[in-house]
Amino acid sequence: MPIEVINLNHSYKEGTPFEKQVLFDINLVIDDGEFVGIIGPTRSGKTTLAQHFNALHIPRRGKVLVDGVDTKDKQADLITVRHRVGYVFQNPDYQLFAPTVGEDIAFGPLNQKLPGSEVEKKVREAMDQVGLDYKTLYNRDIFALSGGQKRRAAIAGVLACRPRILVLDDVTAGLDPRGREDILAVIRKLHRRQNITIIFISNSMDEVASMAERIIVIDGGRVLMDDTTKKVFARFAELRSIGLELPEVSVLIDELQQAGFKLPDGILSVNEALHSISSALREMEAQK
Amino acid sequence: MELTKNITLGVYLPGKSFIHNLDPRTKIIAATIIIVLLLFSRSYPAFALSALFIAALIIFSGLPAGYVMRGLKPMLPVLAIMWVFQLFLFKDPDAAVYFQWWIFEATEAGLQMGNLIILRVLFLFTITTFLTLTTSVVSLTDGLESMLKPLQAIGLPSQELVMTLVIALRFVLILAEELEKIIKAQMARGVAFDRGNFIQKTRKIFPVFLPLFIGAFKRAEELIVAMDARSYTGGKGRTKMKTLHMGRVDLGAAAVMIIYSGLLIYIITITEPMI
Repeated sequence: MPIEVINLNHSYKEGTPFEKQVLFDINLVIDDGEFVGIIGPTRSGKTTLAQHFNALHIPRRGKVLVDGVDTKDKQADLITVRHRVGYVFQNPDYQLFAPTVGEDIAFGPLNQKLPGSEVEKKVREAMDQVGLDYKTLYNRDIFALSGGQKRRAAIAGVLACRPRILVLDDVTAGLDPRGREDILAVIRKLHRRQNITIIFISNSMDEVASMAERIIVIDGGRVLMDDTTKKVFARFAELRSIGLELPEVSVLIDELQQAGFKLPDGILSVNEALHSISSALREMEAQK
Repeated sequence: MELTKNITLGVYLPGKSFIHNLDPRTKIIAATIIIVLLLFSRSYPAFALSALFIAALIIFSGLPAGYVMRGLKPMLPVLAIMWVFQLFLFKDPDAAVYFQWWIFEATEAGLQMGNLIILRVLFLFTITTFLTLTTSVVSLTDGLESMLKPLQAIGLPSQELVMTLVIALRFVLILAEELEKIIKAQMARGVAFDRGNFIQKTRKIFPVFLPLFIGAFKRAEELIVAMDARSYTGGKGRTKMKTLHMGRVDLGAAAVMIIYSGLLIYIITITEPMI
């Protein structure tokens, strides 16, 4: 069981007058090869929770086990934990700091103290995986990259450490639809081809609905729902009450259902929707 | 991983004590007097009096004392280094020698000098932190600005100066937050900031500063645009939403300050200096 969270509580600025508890009694297990979406209103604790997965936050109360290693344990090898659980941050500008793309991606493997040829190989593979051209972009100045390329470089920098679990913290924010699709395609490929566990934090319900198999809804630092994608998005009213949008397809289906169309629950993809709407229409024709 | 936890300089902690309610000018003048007198203090009894006075202020303000002193924690290594330097490198041929090795000499004078400097830094830090903890940035600005106004006559751009100062103060926290994010991003890729010897640790710091500075410049540019967008053109013709008034509390504060200053000056003159 790669990630196990047991009774996790977390407070910011503990011991100061500004102390604020942001996570309350979180319990969850994320298995190998899962594709989990984490959603919740802003400031609900999504990022704080996720940063416990790779020991960026060490629990004070409760426990986090990564492959059975307790991150709280003083003897634990946190460097290995952090390489095993890759974390791509919301803003690539915080992550990219080397002058060139190649040097930045090599940062992780160099920290693993690998020989030069090995590092180069990993950089090349990581750039391949995210669709950055090794030849033209290796020596490119980081600041000459477009927003989408920066995100991809940031993901490559994490992939070069060969993680088995990848945490993606709202990595499509601020991208144009094309850049967004490209990134999502890269993530899907990583999950399918290499069976990397994906933990996908997002504010876009459409993205989560189309990508994740399981969804964890966080609200006010507590796990509100933890279920399959279909079952979570079937709970319309609750999601709306905590201020979340619904996937566009769900909204459409919901409105049609309320208008009297007989449609099944849990439709999330455009194709499914098309299928069931047209069959519902055919049925109505037949009844006439 | 939380860096901002230990930063208390520039943080305002709202409260309802009479110290919070004092006119910012009163507080700035009082803080200045305390600081100047500290620079003239050279004996333990003088520092003891100031310590009592500041402790009383903290108690009356209702601030948690632990929090006020918390900001000192990250400074302790620097203070320790300063103390060691003074101890070994301050030369005084007349002083008693405790210990000698090569060119290093620990003398009584060095010890006293080290203690004196540490005490001064501690007091300066505490009193400035205390000032910002009990005074919001807005009233601090208003106070400073109104105090600097007379200097406009000789061409000092007082409003701009104060604005710069306030922004700098505000940026302390912002930069700490950014620093934390950058450090986290690098930790996530296998940098062990908490491991290795002093030199190894220092080397790890360099890659952190590049993104920090770039971020700071970006933020500064955004801030300029935001100020421009709200028609900021500098101090000329700017009016105040709240005007400052000195009240009875301020009169009381002045009386307390006079008593404290008199007593401290008396102690400074009658006691033997440490060095």
